Amino acid sequence: MATTVLPRPKAYDDTFFKPISIWLTTTDHKLIGIMYMVTAMISFVIGGIFALIIRLQLSQPNLRLVDDSTYNQLISAHGVTMIFFFVTIFVTGIANYMVPIMVGARDMAFPRVNLLGFWLIPVSIILYYCGFFTGHALDAGWTGYAPLTEKAYQSHSLGVDFWAMSIIVWAISGIMASTNFLTTIVALRAPGMRFSRLPLFVWAQISTSILLLVVGAPLAAAMILLEFDRQLGTQFFTTSGRPVLYQHLFWFFGHPEVYVMILPAFGMISEIVPVFARKPIFGYMSMVAALFGIVFLSMTVWAHHMFTVGMNTYVEGFFMLMTMLIAVPTGIKFFNWIATAWWGSIDFTVPIKFVFGFLATFLIGGITGIYLASVPVDTQLHQSYFVVAHLHYVLFGGSVFAIFAGIYYWFPKITGRLLNRTLGEWHFWTTFIGFNGTFLIMHTLGLEGMPRRIWTYSNEAWAATNIIITISSFLIAFSVLLFLINIVHSWNQGEIAGNDPWQGNTLEWATTSPPPPYNFERVPPVRSFMPVRDLRESGELIEEPPVVPALV
Amino acid sequence: MGRLGAASPGSTGSALLYFHLVTRSARALFTTLGFAALAIALSSCGVGGLSPIFPEPVSPNGQGIYNTYIGISIVAIIVFVGVEAALLWVVLRYRRSTQPAGYVPPQVHGHTGLEIAWTLAPLVIVLAIAGYSFAELQKDFQPISHSQMLVVVSGHQFGWDYEYENGVVVHQEGSLTAEVPAFVVPTNTLVKLQFRGTDVIHSWWVPAISGKTDAVPGYDNFSWLKIDKPGKWRGECAELCGTGHASMQIIVQAMDKSDFDAWMAKQKESGATPSGSPSPSPSK
Ligand code: HEM
Ligand SMILES: [Cu+2]
Ligand SMILES: [Cu+2]
Repeated sequence: MATTVLPRPKAYDDTFFKPISIWLTTTDHKLIGIMYMVTAMISFVIGGIFALIIRLQLSQPNLRLVDDSTYNQLISAHGVTMIFFFVTIFVTGIANYMVPIMVGARDMAFPRVNLLGFWLIPVSIILYYCGFFTGHALDAGWTGYAPLTEKAYQSHSLGVDFWAMSIIVWAISGIMASTNFLTTIVALRAPGMRFSRLPLFVWAQISTSILLLVVGAPLAAAMILLEFDRQLGTQFFTTSGRPVLYQHLFWFFGHPEVYVMILPAFGMISEIVPVFARKPIFGYMSMVAALFGIVFLSMTVWAHHMFTVGMNTYVEGFFMLMTMLIAVPTGIKFFNWIATAWWGSIDFTVPIKFVFGFLATFLIGGITGIYLASVPVDTQLHQSYFVVAHLHYVLFGGSVFAIFAGIYYWFPKITGRLLNRTLGEWHFWTTFIGFNGTFLIMHTLGLEGMPRRIWTYSNEAWAATNIIITISSFLIAFSVLLFLINIVHSWNQGEIAGNDPWQGNTLEWATTSPPPPYNFERVPPVRSFMPVRDLRESGELIEEPPVVPALV
Repeated sequence: MGRLGAASPGSTGSALLYFHLVTRSARALFTTLGFAALAIALSSCGVGGLSPIFPEPVSPNGQGIYNTYIGISIVAIIVFVGVEAALLWVVLRYRRSTQPAGYVPPQVHGHTGLEIAWTLAPLVIVLAIAGYSFAELQKDFQPISHSQMLVVVSGHQFGWDYEYENGVVVHQEGSLTAEVPAFVVPTNTLVKLQFRGTDVIHSWWVPAISGKTDAVPGYDNFSWLKIDKPGKWRGECAELCGTGHASMQIIVQAMDKSDFDAWMAKQKESGATPSGSPSPSPSK
């Protein structure tokens, strides 16, 4: 039996100190992945600052910290930044980095498309923020419902136009990335990497890409029609047109978009739990099937965001049923994760803490989702703070917790250094407590009648809850600060990770940290969906000691 | 799958360590539960702002929603407690530090029976919830034809107009500070509400009465109310409609029939009718 000699682990990192010209022109999927992730993190901080201003304004009744118009621009910018420029971009970045390595490829199938696709993102972001420099950015929420975004009500500003342009560019970039992922996974798999042996993170990326490919175009179409209305005087969504048509187009994208943000998170959880529990994933095939169940169902539920526009009750019943059915594949995944950890020998490092943070909070988001799917109950909860709490439980408690788990898990691979554990523990606990302190009691505000997207309120009964929320949100801000310190500190002087600090299962752990530009000298043989673990157990994996750090 | 034996607690586990781990994880749980308990405690003390449920409904459709909410909550709480307990158990019981030294977990790849079980269990639960919700939907959300009174509610930037059949109009112009005039209805009367949007989309919401109904330009939307006792209830516009969105207060006041008639007569005197509209029979 041939043995696989692992490349000597690097004891230093030569990835980052490259001339700017290389960063600007590289087609290396890893560098592009890093640029995606850094861009996303900058957006996270900016979106977070918006959130803090929003929370300060809402901390007490009748505050006048910002005015109504500024407030509406802030919530729109917060939502757009978090959804389009943070979570989606981050998960694209981490997939850009990991998917080719995990399937044993040297790069993405279309490296130059990858380059273009990435650079469209800064263009999209800058286009959006241009709105602020014309004096008035988008102020109709991240959903930008017509006719509020029409010329008749927004003649004074170019913010809506910049937003629409930004989203069109964003959609094009997303379609490019999705095509690229699918081609890479189908065409560039290493010998032995059959579909039935793909890591679940890669399966998640397949399903995400299919979704974005299908729904990216309708989103762009909605924006283009809106621009026709605004610039050419058509009447698609105007007061005398069909405003509800805009909602259909938007949510046909908008709902699958939440799965674009959560499926990669599911993928990361499915990779991390087995490694730290020292058990194979429970029910590999049902995990894959569940992903595709979600892909299918998520395209048939969009009108659950429109239960108050007055549809026929049978149509509403259909969308209610399809929405609730998503609980079935999601439940399969959830129980399989628990079963994977069951009887395991779980090493409670920071990544797995975030995984359990994810499981504990995402469950709440899933359950409140059932309330919202029930048409009668939704007519009460819709557009209230209950929805804001729900969406943060799935987006923050779900996607963002998983992203943190993924960062702690893969940072050593990407930089060659481990993140500091103590800071990581602090980061986890402050995030977990801050998050629940902010969003758990927020549900009650919605139940008591506080609508979302109001810039101020006079009801004294909501004061106590709001101040607790605001204080807790600053705990989250503090936790993000700890995280950023950890990143900067560990990137420079963290503990050397070696090739495989966690005893991983998938191919990225069989190359150096960070991997060389071509990823592998020789791709190790693939005999199951846990190729590196197989090699380790059959004694075929020979690890050499790290190279002595070069004194520069 | 068997191999249960492999999971039996190790005799080497130190009681002290175990205790430490239990307390540590329990702390996390209690933080979460603490907030929930605080919420319930505060709301029962009447501090307000932290109620886990809608305000007491005063209209049958609101009551229907309320009951559906309770029904779902019963299932939701069971699922929540069950799954969180399983998670907590995993966190406490299957830590590497509490497992016997050299413990190798059973390499289970799946279990068809279990996987089918946790496909079917959520399926049954959601079908039940969907069926229950659909029944409520059919009962209280159908357009009604037998109302005793019709009011046309139209939303505009930024306020609400309520036009009664006799042409009387109540203008609820939005305000952040002053209390807006009340939209008055007689008690125990089935009032059909017909919603219109005149510029952008607005959404009419009074939590104590019922759910929201959007006022969309281009078509009419319907809802109804039947309030059984006199009183005043508040709400707000629930669909972002521009800068004045937060000012679009709603006040609904229910009065006994005689009070209502007196109020209506006064409205007609003070000429709350829009110009040119005829105002014949005040009958319902
Ligand atoms: C520090 C943490 C955060 C705080 C305190 C916070 C706070 C808020 C608040 C108060 C609103 C409601 C604004 C309103 O309706 O008037 C809101 C909306 C929203 N948030 Fe966050 N948020 C945080 C993080 C996030 C994250 C991480 C995401 C996404 C991953 C996110 C996504 C959204 C979205 C999509 C909306 C809806 C925006 C809209 O109404 O158009 N938020 N947030
Ligand atoms: Cu949705
Ligand atoms: Cu409004």
